[in-house]
Amino acid sequence: MCLAAALVGVLVFLRKQSLLGESLSHASYPGVVVGVVVASPWITTKNEGLVIAVAVAAGAFVTAWIGLLVIELLQRKVGVRIDAALCFVLSAFFGIGLTIASHVQFTHTTLYLKMLPYLYGQPATMTDVHIVIYGILSLVILLMVILLHKELQAISFDRDFAASLGINVKTIDAVILFLVVLAVVVGIRSVGVVLMSAMLIAPAVAARQWTNNFTMLLIIAALIGLVSGFLGNYLSVEGNRYFSRGDAYWRFALPTGPMIVLVAGVMCILSLLLASERGLLWRKLRALRFRYRCICENILKTLWHFGSENEIALEVVAKYQDISSIYLKFILWRLSSHRWVNNTKPRYYCLTNDGRQWAAKIVRLHRLWELYLADYVGVGVERVHRNAEEMEHIISSEVEEQLTQLLHNPKQDPHDQPIPSKDFVI
Amino acid sequence: MAEEISALQVFQLTVNYDKTPVLWDITLEVPSGVLVGIIGPNGAGKTTFLKAALGLLQPLSGKMTFFGNPLSKVRQRVAYVPQRATVDWDFPITVKDLVLMGRYGRLGVLRWPRKADWAAAYHYLEMVGMAQYGHRQISQLSGGQQQRVFIARALMEEADLYFMDEPFAGIDVASEKTIVELLHRLKEQGKTVCTVHHDLNTVESYFDWVMVLNIRLVACGPVEEVFNATTLNAAYGKSYALFGEALQRSRRKMKGF
Amino acid sequence: MMMKTTLIAYSNPYLGKDFFQFFMQFFRRLWAIIMGNVSSGDLVSDEVQIFVLVGISISAAVVGTFLMLRHMTMLANALSHTILLGIVFVFVVGRSRGVFSQEEHQGFNIQALLAASLVMGVVTTFLTQLLTKTMRLQEDASIGIVFTTLFALGVIFVTVLTRSAHIGIEVVMGNVDALHVDDLRLVYIIAAINVVSFSLFFKEFKITTFDPGLAQVMGISVGFFNYLLMIQVSLTAIGAFRAVGVLMVLAFITGPVLIARLLTHSLRMLLVLSCVIGSVISVVGVALSRHLLSIHGISLSTAGLVVCLIVVSYVFTIVIAPRCGFLAAKVQESSNSHT
Repeated sequence: MCLAAALVGVLVFLRKQSLLGESLSHASYPGVVVGVVVASPWITTKNEGLVIAVAVAAGAFVTAWIGLLVIELLQRKVGVRIDAALCFVLSAFFGIGLTIASHVQFTHTTLYLKMLPYLYGQPATMTDVHIVIYGILSLVILLMVILLHKELQAISFDRDFAASLGINVKTIDAVILFLVVLAVVVGIRSVGVVLMSAMLIAPAVAARQWTNNFTMLLIIAALIGLVSGFLGNYLSVEGNRYFSRGDAYWRFALPTGPMIVLVAGVMCILSLLLASERGLLWRKLRALRFRYRCICENILKTLWHFGSENEIALEVVAKYQDISSIYLKFILWRLSSHRWVNNTKPRYYCLTNDGRQWAAKIVRLHRLWELYLADYVGVGVERVHRNAEEMEHIISSEVEEQLTQLLHNPKQDPHDQPIPSKDFVI
Repeated sequence: MAEEISALQVFQLTVNYDKTPVLWDITLEVPSGVLVGIIGPNGAGKTTFLKAALGLLQPLSGKMTFFGNPLSKVRQRVAYVPQRATVDWDFPITVKDLVLMGRYGRLGVLRWPRKADWAAAYHYLEMVGMAQYGHRQISQLSGGQQQRVFIARALMEEADLYFMDEPFAGIDVASEKTIVELLHRLKEQGKTVCTVHHDLNTVESYFDWVMVLNIRLVACGPVEEVFNATTLNAAYGKSYALFGEALQRSRRKMKGF
Repeated sequence: MMMKTTLIAYSNPYLGKDFFQFFMQFFRRLWAIIMGNVSSGDLVSDEVQIFVLVGISISAAVVGTFLMLRHMTMLANALSHTILLGIVFVFVVGRSRGVFSQEEHQGFNIQALLAASLVMGVVTTFLTQLLTKTMRLQEDASIGIVFTTLFALGVIFVTVLTRSAHIGIEVVMGNVDALHVDDLRLVYIIAAINVVSFSLFFKEFKITTFDPGLAQVMGISVGFFNYLLMIQVSLTAIGAFRAVGVLMVLAFITGPVLIARLLTHSLRMLLVLSCVIGSVISVVGVALSRHLLSIHGISLSTAGLVVCLIVVSYVFTIVIAPRCGFLAAKVQESSNSHT
């Protein structure tokens, strides 16, 4: 169930319509109520489970679909904005459902009790019948996503291009909306009307942090959905056991629906923080690493400027770097352990051969860039140096090639300093 | 002894937008009493420059002064006309309501507009030729009418320095004429106006100063000196592409991407 | 066990009344209240319902107007859910079961509730903005994740702490029939706060909604008024959750404003009209509920009934008010551009 919801969730997320699920899941509630009531004459003790499950699914589908139509109608004909339409349909339909339910509470009390699980979901009381029905519906969703994979991918990333390929955008849109409604119907039994939308959003968001590839998005989201489902169930049962041990009066199960949502939410937040490419932690780490490299190269450059053969005192180097002395000593230590720099006497450093090569390369890039800025971009000569300070650290060899060609392999920079040639050797 | 204080002084302004650099190391000075046209190719950062100068965006670095002071000290001397598209024209207010908003900054919290403010609103509406539209809903205005009303609102602020973002985009000829005449009237009163402009053909006739932007400041000075083929080539030409690309890489590395 | 207030006066004058008799009785009682002959302790459940719902309508209408104009109603959806977490804290800290339980008539700590809603309002808004700006997540997904996770947390806490699985349901539905005078006080304090805030800061809210860029340049803090609005939304939701539940308060927030928007083009009228519409529908709803119970023996949730009436009124307005509504403006606009 969660798998199907996660798949559909990816589609909705890419269309920036994540809150549609929220609105439609609440809109399905009156359908649940009405469906059960309408089907009540057909219920016998033998087929009760089946009839109710079918009635609920059908009713939910109908009213969610009506809700969808109303949202569209409000936007197109009445000029209501999307957020207001979603919010109004959400609360209005839910209110209507509640009103009917409040009556049913007294007239068909047993039936009313059967409807309650749909508010927050109650996977624990799902029977085989439920599993079969929802399993089939989930399978339908899965199949449709697989079959229409190419079209969905095209439309999600560029609608106009997809249309130009001959894909019928309108039909696919309708199919996606159909799948959303179906996913909502499937999900409300496990997670409940109120929290359903979380299963559409959280796995998709989490998956997005790990990949840019459409297919991978679907797969990862599906996996996260599955894991949330299992873990949520497991935790609620375990928690239940834990509490009932300590408390003799504990008769209620930890609500599973919210548990599943919580797991999904936590996984989502972890993904946002830790994912390898886009995660916050990694971003910060990479920025720090880059800073470190910049400082290393700046130190080498400083040593170069004082004459590549000489030994330079620590204090002199420190004057040109804007970092704490501890950090400076640490970096110098690392540089010398990697043989870029020699620690000849205590507090005195000089470049090794390798160090000199690296420093020459940096200086070359810096001066090329200065020349470019002065001649082509029109920066005043006085300010060129400061502007070029960062550039040399990130110029790749392709850019260096381009620069050399553009500037016709120069020998001197704007300050009339010699530019080390590409194959600098002492 | 009257000291010539520049209306606007910008020092080493650098702005990032998401991960790409949009403005890099802009330093310039604009004297008071001139009409400045800000031009450059698409994506050059013209609107960003306006927003950064006015404190709507957080720049990476840079210092801006207005008449020698930071913006917070001279807010009442600076007026802003944003792009028309940034506003929801279905908002339930009338034209006069909109123009009156120009006084809100001056009024401060817990004070209500008085008769004098209403009179001023009508006065400025008349100046832009929209006096008879006072009671209309803003949703019923055409593009040119919307722009004129926006300008009337800015005039309400009775500032010394005006910033306008693409006021001539998508409006009818009559409105454009009205606005240009208004700009010249402002200049006669010694006011300074900085306008983001998109049409290179009209630069020389509308403005007496020009600021050419393309991520970097290409040039800033009187129209006769600055508005020529060399500068335009530098702004719109190809050798610039390398610069932008390198900047992008730099910013990405800084952010850890 | 202390019984602070009685829930139903020993003789409920509305019992057995039909629709029109209800109103006659109500106006008679209203007059008596104004004359000071009836004290707050003597109020009958129907009247408490009316007054509470009217109070909620007023708060929701004024808050809803600005929410709709800012296109931020889904954030209100989020806020109305996350206050559950705040309510849980009130329960835990204050040990006031009266917050949740409908059976015991213990009072609850009004200040604690107000404070809780304020905190949750700020926290939710802050987290949503954090996700949108720092984590670069699209806005609809940020809102969705923040509030569903927090709400799930709230439901779990509530179930564990109150040892009852029914609280979650009641939070969502409310229970109009079990209101008492403390609710009245809470609702009207909140309504007063809302009305005062919007009156004092009317022009600031207007300009930060319409043109935040210009407002910022003028020195008006857009962020401050954004948070203030969200806090007021949280307050409104917390005032309403006992009566109508967290979901249906959204119908009060959006419905009357949508109706009023079809009838007027003035911001001031929008505020006033949506308050009036919301209040009138509330009164009619209570009367109808009583009528159905007395005459037809059908008992329906009053809150749900009011929501149904809001829907009906909206459909009705869409149909009959084409002259004043959006359609009319568009028609006029297209005929203007032709001339």
